[in-house]
Amino acid sequence: MPLKFFIFPLIFLLCFKSIQAQNCNLKISGIIKDLHDSSPIFGAVVRINGSDILTQTSEDGLYFFNQICPGKLIFVVEHSNCNSVQREVILSENTTLNFTLEHHINELEEIIISDNTLKSLKGSTKESRLNSDQINKYSSQGLADALNTLAGVSTLKTGNSVAKPMIHGMYGSRVGIVANGIRLQDQEWGADHAPTIDLNSFENIQLVKGASALKYGGDTPGGIIVLSPSKLILKDSLFGQTIINASENGRGGSISTKIMKTTSDGYYVSSQFSGKQFGDLLAPEYILSNTGVKQMNISLKLGRSKILSGWEVNYSRFQNEIGILRGAHIGNIQDLLRALKTDVPLRIDPFTYLINSPKQEGVHQNFHFTYFNQTSNKAKWQLDYNYQANTRKEFDIRRGIPASTPAIDLKLQTHNFLVNLKWKTKFSMDYEWGVNGILQDNYSNPNTGVKRLIPDYLRYQIGSYFLGAYSPSNSFSWDWGIRLDQNTWDVQKFYNVSDWEERDYAVLFPDFDVQQFGNKLLVNPKLNFLTLATQTGISIILGEQFSASLTYVLSQRSPNASELFSDGLHHSLATLEYGSLSLEKEISNKILLNFSKNKGRFKGTLEPYVSKISNYIFIGPTGIEQTIRGAFPVWQYDTTNASFWGVDAGVDYTFSEQFTFDINASYTYAQDLINREPLISIPPFNSSQILKYTSPKKKFDLELVNHFVSFQNRFPEMNFTVNTLQDGLIIEELVDISTPPSAYQSIDFNFSLYFNLIKQSTSSISFIVNNITQTKYRDYLNRMRFYADDIGRNFQLQFIFSY
Amino acid sequence: MKFFLNIQHKTLYVLLSLIIISCSKEDPEPINEEELITTVQLTFRAPGITDQIVRWQEGSNNSDAISLAANTQYEVGIIFLDESDPSDIEDITEEVKEEADEHQVFYEFSQLNIGLEQSSSDTLDSNQNPVYINSLWNTSEVGSGTVRVYLIHEPVTKSSSTRDGFAGETDVAVDFLITIE
Repeated sequence: MPLKFFIFPLIFLLCFKSIQAQNCNLKISGIIKDLHDSSPIFGAVVRINGSDILTQTSEDGLYFFNQICPGKLIFVVEHSNCNSVQREVILSENTTLNFTLEHHINELEEIIISDNTLKSLKGSTKESRLNSDQINKYSSQGLADALNTLAGVSTLKTGNSVAKPMIHGMYGSRVGIVANGIRLQDQEWGADHAPTIDLNSFENIQLVKGASALKYGGDTPGGIIVLSPSKLILKDSLFGQTIINASENGRGGSISTKIMKTTSDGYYVSSQFSGKQFGDLLAPEYILSNTGVKQMNISLKLGRSKILSGWEVNYSRFQNEIGILRGAHIGNIQDLLRALKTDVPLRIDPFTYLINSPKQEGVHQNFHFTYFNQTSNKAKWQLDYNYQANTRKEFDIRRGIPASTPAIDLKLQTHNFLVNLKWKTKFSMDYEWGVNGILQDNYSNPNTGVKRLIPDYLRYQIGSYFLGAYSPSNSFSWDWGIRLDQNTWDVQKFYNVSDWEERDYAVLFPDFDVQQFGNKLLVNPKLNFLTLATQTGISIILGEQFSASLTYVLSQRSPNASELFSDGLHHSLATLEYGSLSLEKEISNKILLNFSKNKGRFKGTLEPYVSKISNYIFIGPTGIEQTIRGAFPVWQYDTTNASFWGVDAGVDYTFSEQFTFDINASYTYAQDLINREPLISIPPFNSSQILKYTSPKKKFDLELVNHFVSFQNRFPEMNFTVNTLQDGLIIEELVDISTPPSAYQSIDFNFSLYFNLIKQSTSSISFIVNNITQTKYRDYLNRMRFYADDIGRNFQLQFIFSY
Repeated sequence: MKFFLNIQHKTLYVLLSLIIISCSKEDPEPINEEELITTVQLTFRAPGITDQIVRWQEGSNNSDAISLAANTQYEVGIIFLDESDPSDIEDITEEVKEEADEHQVFYEFSQLNIGLEQSSSDTLDSNQNPVYINSLWNTSEVGSGTVRVYLIHEPVTKSSSTRDGFAGETDVAVDFLITIE
């Protein structure tokens, strides 16, 4: 296949002017980027054919020549992982020549489609990213921990190992996770579930703040996290990587290994395996009993890419078992008060690897088939089918029932179809149009002996989107998109007769089929939501160093299953949580700005945003329900209007080749406009500072990281009282679940040594210490804060072997 | 563009509805809730006095009041029932006895001086601690107050004189008024 033939048309041609005087002092500079994701390519060789003039790109992908003679020259750009690119240029003056290299054969077709744009996922929306080195560092932890290093991302925890990424104060259904081009369907069941995905299967993580990736859905006002697998090389090769971690805290570790075989005729096959196990974790002063974790992930991929068409099949299976702190399982408010009053968890057992109840077990299986075809050099279509099966079991401490019987046993199956068409026109316009159909089936196993938390349902979603991007020059781009989705729910849920009547559902929903079983009603709610999303943005490059972008996003989200139907006792907060059938779609308007200085010793970004959300869905206390365990606060999902604003900022300063200093900081303000109070669980101001030393020739590096999280002084008051008996008297005591914990600071240290086991593949050994000073702290966004301190110091050794 | 979208919508609706028809859902089974306790019942027995039975039942909101005689020893028995299905009442006390090591019944009194003692007919756990399913209450002077009845699951210790001392999770916490005459 004459590859050059396809690559050549993509090269954008710049600055053709007639030749002027013959003096050899022209300056040629430019940037070499990855065509797939616009990331700068480091170490690419740029040379002028027929001469011995050559240079290499810096870490920012930049190159520079001076003293070049005018005339007709052929530039060649080469990189070990890429196909080389040639361009013939007639030079008459100082010129900027930018190149895009392709080292991902799957995306090769885009070369033809978008020949003169250097497009990111969506041009105007600022994205942050994690590369494979940063991902590897968090190999033994989770997705949320890795993303937490980016400004504007926090982690919401409902257990020491149950962590969800939070963007601009939003999480769960308001943040989309896209793996291999398809939305992950596992956030339907509510806040207590971490994304069931293994970081080690991916090599690039992009964070798109503000939901402008409408291709993946229009319902995520927080943002979208896009996980991409490793890139392909179109040549015969076999390579792999193994990462081994050993941690002192939790006396555990992880192993992850992946191997990939590619052939020059476009076939590729890859497999990945990872496993991890930790025992009970340690806070600075005690054991966090029952916080062990086990996890296993396997994925297989087979495909063929023939540039103009290609297919891929992949399968992955993720399984985990997570212990929930024993001291956090409580029976009533009095138990909660007792836990709040003591500094130390009420139950501390000796260290063990055993994971007992309360615990969660999850399995996520994913099957994906994709096919693409480039019908002409102006159009390409792609077909995706994805099947996800997600099971979750939660085990509580129970009486008279074998420990192997879960209290929650759910199975969610999702079929996802996507047809996508891309084409380009003259006038630098690119279009993308697609249709997305989703069929989802949730099954709640009745053998638990506990009232269903989430009912059985079928959900159908059909959506269509139309996107466009206009990039008349390298320094300006405009993009826009619109998406329409119809969501239909067909639910079968049992309600207590008394609840059904108390909430007036019989009057509000007279059309729902109802069947009575004793004191229970089987109801068949049918709900419809039509949602619209639009976005538009511009991005400009101002001179050599500065860039700016402005994005507006309208997103609408239909309520999820837990918001509509939750029904049960929450064991970690002693609250009765109820969904609401009356919820309407949530409508968010968001404006994001980005200013960046991308070059020089001093680099920085400033990203302010503001959003207003009507029908913002939240859960809050509405009353008290008397039960045999005493009075329980009732929390019910409801809607309000909310406003958010905030700033994410980052500054990098390069002292010298060896020393760099980075500061990241973010602040979020969120207010409930109807109840005139702050929203709950909003990240307080936080900042991290990183001092890094890299030895000459990058033989080793040292990194010192300081994390600072301030006290959240904006919080809603959700306290209640409980009557307790003390010294023979009944007294009323306040249960303070509202006041956030104090500010804290923790320091991490990281030492990495690099070496080559095999030519061109860098392996490393790292020594990592987290929370060096054994800081005792509790985090506002960790629900375990009511019961115990956060994790103490951890020494970790990491080996990365690339071959 | 809208027109274009609409057509595509229709064809996809047809396609999807075909899939939907092929996987229609069965009616879910009602769940038989297993660990439910709806009722706490106390029986007071003393020589020469008629047995007194008081109940706390979920949903009824009011518990019965207890009336005791001063300076008397009562043998107090407790049972826990699941009466959610009136045609199939389950006695949960049996489970508590079987799992005596994981359970503790406890009484806390307010504004009353009542001595709580082990009864010889009580269930003992494997360490010979009383579970207080049967207990002895010694009343003294006349007065009125409240008793809070607890069933504690997986207490940290089995020997304590206060509710806080046992820790563990509360499965039952209900109040009864007491008058001593």
